[in-house]
Amino acid sequence: MSGGSRTVIIGLFDAVESAGAAAQALRALPIPAADVTTISSVALPDGAVVSDPRPIRFPWAVAVFWFVGAAAGAGLTLYSYLVYPLVTAGKPIASVPPTIIVTYETAMLAALLATLVAGFLSIGLARFWKRKVFDPRIHEGKIAVCAYVTPGDQARRAAGALSGAGGTDVRIEEGVL
Amino acid sequence: MKHKWAMVIDMDRCTGCGACVVACVAENNIPTAGEEEAGKGRLMQWLRVSRYWKKEGAETRAIFVPTPCMHCEKAPCEIVCPVYATYHDEDDQLNAMVYNRCIGTRYCANNCPYSVRVFNWWDHKWEKPLDEQLNPDLSVRSRGVMEKCTYCIQRIRRGKETALKEGRKIRDGEVMPACAQTCPPGAIQFGDLLDPVSAISRMVKDPRLFKLMEHKGTEPSTVYLKKQRGPGR
Amino acid sequence: MSERHHLARHEEGKLYEELSRSNLVTTKSWYLAAGILLAVTAGAVGAFLYMMATGLGVTGLSRPVMWGTMIILFVFWIGVSHSGTLISAILRITQAGWRAPVLRGAEAMTVFALMVGGLFPLMHLGRNWRFYYMIPYPNERMLWPNFRSPLLWDMVAISTYLTGSILFLYFGMIPDLAIARDHSTGWRKKLYTILAAGFRGTHSEWRRYRVASTLFAVLIIPVAVSVHSIVSWDFAMAMVPGWHSTIFAPYFVAGAIYSGIAGVITVMAFLRRVFRLENFLTVQHFDNLGKLLLTMTLIWGYFYFAEFLTTWYSRLPEDWALVSSYGGHFLPLFLLMLTCNFLLPLPALCLSRVRRSVPALFAVSLVVNIGMFAERALIVVPSLARRNDPSIWLNYFPTWVEMSYIVGSVAMFSLLYVLFSKILPVMAISDIKEHLFRTTDRSIGAATVASVAQEEEGEGK
Repeated sequence: MSGGSRTVIIGLFDAVESAGAAAQALRALPIPAADVTTISSVALPDGAVVSDPRPIRFPWAVAVFWFVGAAAGAGLTLYSYLVYPLVTAGKPIASVPPTIIVTYETAMLAALLATLVAGFLSIGLARFWKRKVFDPRIHEGKIAVCAYVTPGDQARRAAGALSGAGGTDVRIEEGVL
Repeated sequence: MKHKWAMVIDMDRCTGCGACVVACVAENNIPTAGEEEAGKGRLMQWLRVSRYWKKEGAETRAIFVPTPCMHCEKAPCEIVCPVYATYHDEDDQLNAMVYNRCIGTRYCANNCPYSVRVFNWWDHKWEKPLDEQLNPDLSVRSRGVMEKCTYCIQRIRRGKETALKEGRKIRDGEVMPACAQTCPPGAIQFGDLLDPVSAISRMVKDPRLFKLMEHKGTEPSTVYLKKQRGPGR
Repeated sequence: MSERHHLARHEEGKLYEELSRSNLVTTKSWYLAAGILLAVTAGAVGAFLYMMATGLGVTGLSRPVMWGTMIILFVFWIGVSHSGTLISAILRITQAGWRAPVLRGAEAMTVFALMVGGLFPLMHLGRNWRFYYMIPYPNERMLWPNFRSPLLWDMVAISTYLTGSILFLYFGMIPDLAIARDHSTGWRKKLYTILAAGFRGTHSEWRRYRVASTLFAVLIIPVAVSVHSIVSWDFAMAMVPGWHSTIFAPYFVAGAIYSGIAGVITVMAFLRRVFRLENFLTVQHFDNLGKLLLTMTLIWGYFYFAEFLTTWYSRLPEDWALVSSYGGHFLPLFLLMLTCNFLLPLPALCLSRVRRSVPALFAVSLVVNIGMFAERALIVVPSLARRNDPSIWLNYFPTWVEMSYIVGSVAMFSLLYVLFSKILPVMAISDIKEHLFRTTDRSIGAATVASVAQEEEGEGK
């Protein structure tokens, strides 16, 4: 889905059932499953209308950043022990409890920040420069079914399929899903 | 040159006269809080003479406990300071206080079991002509910082410098904090424990010796002498 | 083919209007409330500036009570902050069906209580204009913080928690911001367009969004637990009788959850009344929250007894000096705490009539938070006031400056909340929609059957 704009067909539906029928009609054209999606104001269960089989991998990035944060925290405390070896209370200069606590907190901080950043990247948020296909009427209760199509014959047939399933305002746009 | 400065306070000699407190105030630029503030627990004195009453048969005895900073080897105040404003001076084995670093969390004061640390609640003023008698050897502390007994560190430094200039070791009794110098009955003794022939090294072998709140494990450098009374003692 | 309609569809526009009433209409009373809160907050800020200019002598602090109202307020507000995110995260993870209307309000409560609470340790510094000495950054002063001090742990933990809570609040709000974007005009539309970051609701966006928000919930719970543990370690690490206790971390966490749930109830009751959300924040929600509060009453009581008993029985002289002050000078505070935290809420919350009456539960929640304030005060002050050497024992009473901080902190918290409810979606609209969507009855032919979609939770894994 990366890259520039492609031709997208979009139609609005009133209910999950008709949207499901439309999605199946599009699949039958055939349009690959990865190119058909819905836009809805409520998360629809996977498979109700379309299904997305692609694995979600960004939690691994969060796990990696947890360790990066841990290393930063441990590094910060260890660095302090090295550059500021002041004796306090006759206790060891390199002290374990603070190292554990600071390491833990910075690890969690890094993981939380990574969740936001990785989540944004994975969802594709904050990419304002992209022409994303959308219809604000989904927040009036519509469900949009949309798909990448090749201009010409396939687009015409897809439009027919969406209208046939009860879609309103079926249109062809340039954009990304 | 390493030292282990220590103080011995002989409670059997202490009369509770308070001369040590006055000397300390004069030596260390300690502001006077005034009656009202003192009542609120804001005395600035680095050394307090706690007084306890003890009933022994028909008579009631007063027990005076002059309490300066203990300069603990394992000082609980040091470890909790977030900015290293109080730390351990390894050359002199003193519990040092850096006023300029202090941001006034007052955590050290909470963690000091002896409660000897005092806090500058206000900007203090020395009315004329009192400002003429400020000691130039040490700073006047600003508002918002902690302070406490230093064992008159300015005198220790002066003594060390003089000895260094003259190319000799510090003589026993050469360095003397203001309280020890002033104490009329000589209840406060001060010296270097690393000097095996110093008076203080002899005094810490006294069987009357005890440490304040020894069970806290702070290993204080200020120790006390007192004859224990009562059966079994 | 039978069309199965879902409730959410028909009522979409109306639903948004009803849930976003706080954003849509700005009444005179809102300006009045915000104005009053601003004035009170400004008053407290003025008192702070006065304290900053004159010195901490204007407080009631002394030797030995070096920590007072400001630290009590710190612990109190961090405690209140505790539950919002925690409840929200736990409800999200357990997919509790009734969670949707509670989420946003609770998360926002956490963020604002943390913002208020986090100010106090900085305000309480003797030289608060030098607070940056605690931040580890290379500087010409050769200063570096001491990581062995629990205050540093505190700083690290609270900044983590505040950052995490803000991210959690924001991330949970994205679909609602998208809804608001499509329903609004003018500056609001611009603001929501930026904040919603182009969220549309495609199938893959929703899938990934779900995973990320679950991840947030999973990560924020251990942070929440660690933060209040570390706040308790500020005390437990010190060798002060009454503070130096191994039970402090779990006890503080339990107390924090307790006061936090009470805080959530207070806030929810307010929102329900002010923004007329009776259709969404139902009696059932308050009943559930009331049951949670009852659980925490019992847990808190258990912890307190367990903590108390060791001292009570062993009567170590140092600890006993402290505990006997609960029967002496601090008796009113002790009784206030006991009544407000246990004796009153326990029987009250056992009655379903109280739990199911919003005003009654609201009153109980206020009582609990008064009790928790007393409890914080009882932890901070008597331990210092009856410390080791009896010759310095001294009692403590806050001055008008500290009183103004107490009032001002409540005002500032409310002010932040009032502003928030005016600018951002205060109800989790998309979660409510989803709940409605999943639980709406559907007609198949002539028959109406309950939706079974709620059994398909956890997709997108």
